[in-house]
Amino acid sequence: MFFEIIDVFISGLINGSVYSLMAVGLTLVYGVTKAFNFAYGSFYVLGGYFAWLLLVRYGVPGGYLTVIVTAVPFFFVIGFLSEKILIAPLRRYGDWEMKVMMLTLGLSLFMDYSFQSVFGPRVKSIPSFTEDIFEFGDFVILHQDIAIFTVSICCMLGLRWVLNNTRIGMAVMATAQNPVGAQIVGIPKDFIYAATFAISTILAGMGGILLCQKNLINPMGGSDIMIKAWVITAFGGMGSIRGSLYAAFILGMLEAFVGWYFGMMYVQIATLTLLLVTLAVRPKGLLGRE
Amino acid sequence: MLDITDLNAYYGESHALKNVRMRVPKGEVVIIVGPNGHGKSTLLKSICGLVDKVQGQVAWNGEDITHLGTAKIVNMGITYIAENRELFPYMSVRDNLKLGAYSRRAKANEKKNEEWVAELFPKLVERRNQLSSTMSGGEAKMLAIARGLMSDADLLCIDEPALGLQPSYRTDIFRIIQEISKQGKTVLLVEQNIPQLFEMADRLYIMDEGCLSFKGGKEDALSDDQLKEILFGM
Repeated sequence: MFFEIIDVFISGLINGSVYSLMAVGLTLVYGVTKAFNFAYGSFYVLGGYFAWLLLVRYGVPGGYLTVIVTAVPFFFVIGFLSEKILIAPLRRYGDWEMKVMMLTLGLSLFMDYSFQSVFGPRVKSIPSFTEDIFEFGDFVILHQDIAIFTVSICCMLGLRWVLNNTRIGMAVMATAQNPVGAQIVGIPKDFIYAATFAISTILAGMGGILLCQKNLINPMGGSDIMIKAWVITAFGGMGSIRGSLYAAFILGMLEAFVGWYFGMMYVQIATLTLLLVTLAVRPKGLLGRE
Repeated sequence: MLDITDLNAYYGESHALKNVRMRVPKGEVVIIVGPNGHGKSTLLKSICGLVDKVQGQVAWNGEDITHLGTAKIVNMGITYIAENRELFPYMSVRDNLKLGAYSRRAKANEKKNEEWVAELFPKLVERRNQLSSTMSGGEAKMLAIARGLMSDADLLCIDEPALGLQPSYRTDIFRIIQEISKQGKTVLLVEQNIPQLFEMADRLYIMDEGCLSFKGGKEDALSDDQLKEILFGM
C-alpha cells in the first residue's frame, strides 16, 4: 500500500511537471497578448512528430540530446513565423482577440489533419530516454520519469531566468503588465508579441517531446492536451504563471490519485469538477489578477 | 528642435487635433495650457507615436518621425511621461527604472542616468525593492518621471505631472523640472497647476478644442486675456 501511494505520487509529480510546462506557455501568450492560442495542442503533437522524425525515421546521432537542442530553435522559428504571418495581420482590426481565437482554432484543425495525411492516422511511438530503473526492494522508479521531470523543471527554470534577467524577458513581462507603459519606454510591441508566441511554441514542442514517450503520438491528440492545458490555465488564473505552476501540480496529483483510487474513467470528471468549483468560488482562478 | 506642421489626430470619429503648428527649440521649456479634454495630451502622444491615426508632419532635428513608431522615436531621444503614469505594477521600482532604459540609446548612458535619477529622487533609492503598485499616487508619479529620465531623452513630453497630487509635491515637481532644464534638455509640458513654472517657461501655448494658438514668450503671454482666464480665472 505504502509503495503504491509513493508510486502514484511520483506519477502525479511527473504529470504535473509536464503539464506545468504546457500550461505556462499557454498562459504566457494570454498574459501578454490577451489572446488565446487554440493551436497550442497541435504544436505539442508537432513536438512528438519532430522527435519521431529525428529519432526513428532519420536516426540522428546524439539521440535525445540532439532532439532537445534542435527543438529550441526549430520551434522558436515556427512560432515566430506563425505569429508574424497569421496572427499579426489580424491585430489591425477592432476585436482582434476574438479573431485570433477563431484563426488558431482553424490552424489547429488544419495541423491535425495535416499530421494525419503526412504521418498516417495510426499512433506512433518514440523510444524512451532510457529503459533503466531504480530499484529499492519493492519500489521502482523509471529513469525515464526522472529524466522527464528534470527536463521540464529545467525548462521552467530556464523560462523564469529568461523572463527575469534578460532584456527580452523583461520586455515580455512589461508588455503583459502594461502594454501602453511598455510602448512608452520603447519596447517594440509587435516583436514582443511574436517572441512570446515563439517562446510558448517552444514549451508546447518540448511538452510533446517529453510526454509522447509515455503517451504515444496521436495525430488528433492535440485537443486532449489543449483541454488539459486550458483547464490548468483557467484554474490557476488566466495570465498568472505562478498560478499555472501550482495548478499543474495540483491537477497532476489529482489525476494520479483519482485514477488509482477510483479508476481512470473518473479522472476527467474530477478535473473538471475541481475547475468548476474553483471558478464558482473564485472566478479569477487561484492566482488570477482581475 | 521639434517642428510640427499641420498635425491632425483622430480617435475614431472624433477629430482631436486640428492643423496644429508648433515649434519647440532646443533647450527651451514650453508649456501648453487649456481646458481638459481639448487635445493637450493627444498632442504629446501624437509626437511620441502613441496615436494611431495622425496626418501632417512631426519633425525632430529635421527628420520626419510622424509614422516611425514609438520604439524608434524613443531611440531618437524623445520620451513621453504619462499623466496616469503607466508603470509596471508588479515590478519593483528598480525594474521599472531599468525598463525605462530599454532603448539602445538609453543603454549606452544607463549608469550616468541612474546616478542622476538617484540624486534627484533619493526616496526611490530607498524604495528600490518596493512594487510600484503599492506606492502612493505622488511617489508613483515621481517614479514615472524618473523612468522617463532613464530613457536619456533630449525632449521630455511631460503630461500634467501635478494633477491629482497634494500641494507639497508641486514644489518637488517644480524643482525637478528646473533640474531637467538645467541639464540642457528640452521640456514640453502640459501643466497649469504650478504658477512658478510660468516664470521659467520660454513659450506658452493654449490648446482650445484641438486648435493650438501661440501666446509668445512669457511676458506677452501673461498679459493675454484668454490665458489669464484659464490660469487665474480672471
